[in-house]
Amino acid sequence: MLWVDKYRPKTLDHVMVHDLIAQNLKKLVTEQDCPHLLFYGPSGSGKKTLIMALLRQMFGPGAEKVKVENRTWKVDAGSRSIDIELTTLQSANHTEISPSDAGFQDRYVVQEIIKDMAKNRPIDTKGKKGGFKVLVLNDVDKLSREAQHSLRRTMEKYSAYCRLILCCNSSSRVTEAIRSRCLNVRINAPSEEQIADVLEFIGKKEGLQLPSGFAARIAEKSNRNLRRAILSFETCRVQQYPFTSKQAIPPMDWEEYISEIASDIMKEQSPKRLFQVRGKLYELLINCIPPEIILKRLVYELLRKLDDELKHEVCHWASYYEHRMRLGQKAIFHIEAFVAKFMSVYKSFLIATFG
Amino acid sequence: MSKRNNVVLLSSDDDDGSINRSLSSNHCYKTKPKLKNSTTSRRLKKPRLSTSQTRFSILHQINLLDEDFNEMFTGSKVSPDTQRSSTLEQWVDKYKPCSLEELAVHKKKVEEVKSWFEERLKASKGVYKNNVLVISGQAGVGKSAAIHVIASHLGAAVCGWNTPTPVLWQEHLYNSGAGAQYTSKLDEFENFVERIRKYGIISTSFTGESKPSAILLIDDLPMTNGKAAFGRLKDCLQLLVYSTQIPTAILFTDYGNTDSADYNARCLEELQLSLESSGACKVAFNPITTNSIKKTLFRICQMEHRDVSADHVDNIAKASGGDIRHAITSLQFFCLKPNQVHSLSLFTHSPGVLKDECNKPVRSNDGYYLHYGRDETLSLFHALGKFLHNKRETQSSIEYDQDSFLIQERFSRLPLKMDVPEKILCQSHAQPGLVTGFLHENVLDFLDDEAIDDAWTLSSYLGDADILLAKLRGMLSSDSDTGSVLQSAAASVAVRGVLFGNSQPLSSRWHTIRRPQLWHVEKASLHKKNEMLRLRFPACKCLSSYHISVMATEYMPISKLLGNRACGVYHEPHQELLKNMDMEDVGFDQMSLYEQLETSDDDIEDW
Amino acid sequence: MAPILHSSQQWVEKYRPKQVKDVAHQDEVVRVLTNTLETGSCPHMLFYGPPGTGKTTTALAIAHQLFGSELYKSRVLELNASDDRGINVVRTKIKDFAAVAVGTNHPKSGYPCPPFKIIVLDEADSMTEDAQNALRRTMETYSKVTRFFFICNYISRIIEPLASRCAKFRFKPLSEDIMSSRILYICKEEGLNLDDEALSTLSSISQGDLRRAITYLQSAARLFGSSISSKDLISVSGVVPSEVVEGLLAACKSGNFDLANKEVNNFIAEGYPVSQMLNQLIDIIVDKDDISDEQKARICKKLGEVDKRLVDGADEYLQLLDVASNTMQAFGDKPEGFTYEG
Repeated sequence: MLWVDKYRPKTLDHVMVHDLIAQNLKKLVTEQDCPHLLFYGPSGSGKKTLIMALLRQMFGPGAEKVKVENRTWKVDAGSRSIDIELTTLQSANHTEISPSDAGFQDRYVVQEIIKDMAKNRPIDTKGKKGGFKVLVLNDVDKLSREAQHSLRRTMEKYSAYCRLILCCNSSSRVTEAIRSRCLNVRINAPSEEQIADVLEFIGKKEGLQLPSGFAARIAEKSNRNLRRAILSFETCRVQQYPFTSKQAIPPMDWEEYISEIASDIMKEQSPKRLFQVRGKLYELLINCIPPEIILKRLVYELLRKLDDELKHEVCHWASYYEHRMRLGQKAIFHIEAFVAKFMSVYKSFLIATFG
Repeated sequence: MSKRNNVVLLSSDDDDGSINRSLSSNHCYKTKPKLKNSTTSRRLKKPRLSTSQTRFSILHQINLLDEDFNEMFTGSKVSPDTQRSSTLEQWVDKYKPCSLEELAVHKKKVEEVKSWFEERLKASKGVYKNNVLVISGQAGVGKSAAIHVIASHLGAAVCGWNTPTPVLWQEHLYNSGAGAQYTSKLDEFENFVERIRKYGIISTSFTGESKPSAILLIDDLPMTNGKAAFGRLKDCLQLLVYSTQIPTAILFTDYGNTDSADYNARCLEELQLSLESSGACKVAFNPITTNSIKKTLFRICQMEHRDVSADHVDNIAKASGGDIRHAITSLQFFCLKPNQVHSLSLFTHSPGVLKDECNKPVRSNDGYYLHYGRDETLSLFHALGKFLHNKRETQSSIEYDQDSFLIQERFSRLPLKMDVPEKILCQSHAQPGLVTGFLHENVLDFLDDEAIDDAWTLSSYLGDADILLAKLRGMLSSDSDTGSVLQSAAASVAVRGVLFGNSQPLSSRWHTIRRPQLWHVEKASLHKKNEMLRLRFPACKCLSSYHISVMATEYMPISKLLGNRACGVYHEPHQELLKNMDMEDVGFDQMSLYEQLETSDDDIEDW
Repeated sequence: MAPILHSSQQWVEKYRPKQVKDVAHQDEVVRVLTNTLETGSCPHMLFYGPPGTGKTTTALAIAHQLFGSELYKSRVLELNASDDRGINVVRTKIKDFAAVAVGTNHPKSGYPCPPFKIIVLDEADSMTEDAQNALRRTMETYSKVTRFFFICNYISRIIEPLASRCAKFRFKPLSEDIMSSRILYICKEEGLNLDDEALSTLSSISQGDLRRAITYLQSAARLFGSSISSKDLISVSGVVPSEVVEGLLAACKSGNFDLANKEVNNFIAEGYPVSQMLNQLIDIIVDKDDISDEQKARICKKLGEVDKRLVDGADEYLQLLDVASNTMQAFGDKPEGFTYEG
């Protein structure tokens, strides 16, 4: 088992980073009813961990007995019926799905599936209290507008039987209607000190000797992503132990690759080079690295190498093409357009500076 | 004419019966039956060579037994057609050339073919090793007409193989109930060739005459599907070339203009090559010149006592693209017009426009033209080549008058040396997504090494096209109108963007056009994604699930470093995957088909 | 183990005024409507105004006061935007409801109970134009037995033929003291402890939207218990603390790109919603005295552009970075250089 999973706090009491929020959540479920919840915050900040711990708090250890199931729903969409296949994680009391996996059918997923689930009230073995089910929805921010609208309706209609826990990265993309019906919980990314603390805690548990400043260095590289910090910590452990204070922290392969692309771009600006870059971008896409992450990383790498005057222009075009990428279908077209634009800007900059 | 056919049918000519029946079953092609009737009637005079007697005799029985069935097909449905056709014979048949002079084919070619046959007919057996002549040419250039005329000129009989009308599958099912075996056309053809080789032409109908010289004519070859059948056909033809004693003409219809991706066209080409290599002579017929078409048309007009203006004939001749059969049919169609006066008056209107710019009459009345224009198709690759090479005039021919608005120099481009891009697109029948993909893949090759600005402009426009195409995703299928408008808009933006963006087109260099890698990439990444989805739950030990991007950016790289310790079995370098994909692309021509399939898959997925 | 569902009711519902006269702040509207209630006759009505000003409350209160809770179900149809409200729904659902004749029930319990039904269309401005057109016919056909209450934020999105058939009521944003008094009332009922600072924070972050204020209050009460500070309210509302906004602005002013970039990175890591940031930025920018009008215009233009991109689903980091970089350029009065055409 990976350390990320091994040292994931199982209960709200054990939560290390967001202990204050955890305590409040505990109060919330023990003292009164639980409203619909919306967790938002950047990736790797601990939303899922909190949710799992919260479920355990609500339902006891039974919440951890989950089974994975591929379910197919037949949905009547106007003139024809569509089959929607989704993977669910289920326990007796909760179900977790990622409706955005259904792509353009997400509207039907939300309308029908959730309705369906909410209708089937859980059977309580003790026969007392109707009880309710908890539905965990991942990536609500990736749901289309329509889907969010119908989600809102479902929340109102079935609130007696079903509580929703929504989870997303950015709450900007969640409609006001949904936000106002949920208790919003912002989960910020842990600070670097907090990450270092966690790493040292894990090190102690594993009986490892950590040179001073080693944990801090991993934390620094993790971009405030706790999951990533723990993962690279473990990689370091596998690659070299005992640790040395100078030990290199292995970067992600795709990040290195992008930095390679960035230096390629800086070295030569020509259609031929653009074509080579395209090949490399394809490679990344094949490995399912999301295009916006590629673009962001590329911008990061370019910004590191540039003079201040050009940085503004790079930002401008990056945001411009990122937006167009969302509107379009084929990400490569837009990333490539960005690269081409950068090349053209950089080339004229070089000519202006060095003649 | 068809009436005669019906009689024939009852007098137990079962062969034609079957044709007649299939004719009637696809009687919606109003003009075709007439054409075919003529060929069948012509064939009556020829010796019956068809070998699949069993099938036909059973068919015949069925015909006799099942009168209702017959009546339904031949009686009630064909007769309305036949009524008309008897009053209005196809001019193509009526004015079939009867003498060498009447042939519109170029004199030299005719002479060449004639002398070839003459030599072989005169010579005694075994003098010439190669007794096969391959004649190729696009449809309607008079290949078979030439043979017939030459044969009658030389006093030889033409006997031959015409592709029999295929048996419809339903029909076969019907027959097989009565115990008939299904024989494919290929089988029949093989049998036919076998017989020719062994016995020459043994004809019952020529018994009265003193052994006439004969020419064997093999018109359209049987269609083949798949490699095995094609191989058989090839072997069979080669055998024929090696061993036949009778002068034989094999006609190939070129589909020069159509999609080169068409599998059949490719096969035919290969067949021709193999025939030539085994010793057959080859004559290629060019499309008939406009002048000789015009001559023929005028002759017909005269004989029909129709008064058709010279302009008109000129237009028809030009529009036919060298296809004389088409030209004659067009002429007939034109003369058919009930309100000829009206249409002529229409026409006299448009010359009003013509007077001003006489030098381009073809353009000005495009719409009118379409009535008898041939549908010109372009291959996708041809079209792409045009766009990518971006040929332009060397200098702007348009003078600036006060009407044309001024464009900044950096936005102005020299005039294109091609049709309107949209027209080319339309002719190539390509899907916008496909065009955009191909352009994206290949366009960088056609750019100057210094022209990174152009590359940016181009890719930005391609991005625009992509956004337009993406708008389709959310749309309901009922909005197909909006959809198709968007589609063509997207294609237009892509093409014009590429044309505009490439501001200094390179002088023509030869480039292969690659297929878009994009499809590979998408497929591979989808594959990968599914892989990860499968791993997702085991990876996080069933407590919760990670989002796919987290899997891709964090788990996968780490698990590689950790050496598969954690994430179960994860190893599949995508290079391997790509290799597999490459094996899939068997041939260039099948590829585009494959891709079209893929696009449709893609669409389905989007729904 | 399963928690009990006793207090699941939302305070917004719980403290919704039941009587038209209790509706806060909208005096003119209340005056006119009380008249109608007394006579028992009412025209079609159109309520418009910013969210959280009592439109739905008023409409429901009228319906309740006219029919009483008994008849309410059979006489009133509520539809809001999340129901599928295409043209077909208008044609069938509304028609079906409107077409059933009203019984001649005599008033039993002091309700006027006029002989018509009420259809409440919440968020009417999100209806398609086609649906609205279809509705117009329906309104005419059944005008004897039905009254329509349209509720919307933007009257401009209601087609003119519909709007002209209705009596229009404009709802003003609530003033701060009216809101405070309402909130204090709820605090008293719920036994909450709210200091003055928290109270003023609440009214400022809710921007005249009473519903939002109540929602924030309830959320804070749930999460942090009975004594609520202004910090709790801010954390629950998702509002970006003003020092963070100021921090970003200061970084932009400094002209140091890397500093601004770091600031943006931190902002994203803290998980604040960027759209919220844009809203607060624009408020601050517009109010600032030390920024020239031209600079303001440049910044606001970009803010608008980026807001649209976020709605389209663009990445928050890149977009905010764009805003920061643009703001920096504007502060430094650098020329606007990046044109979209070659």
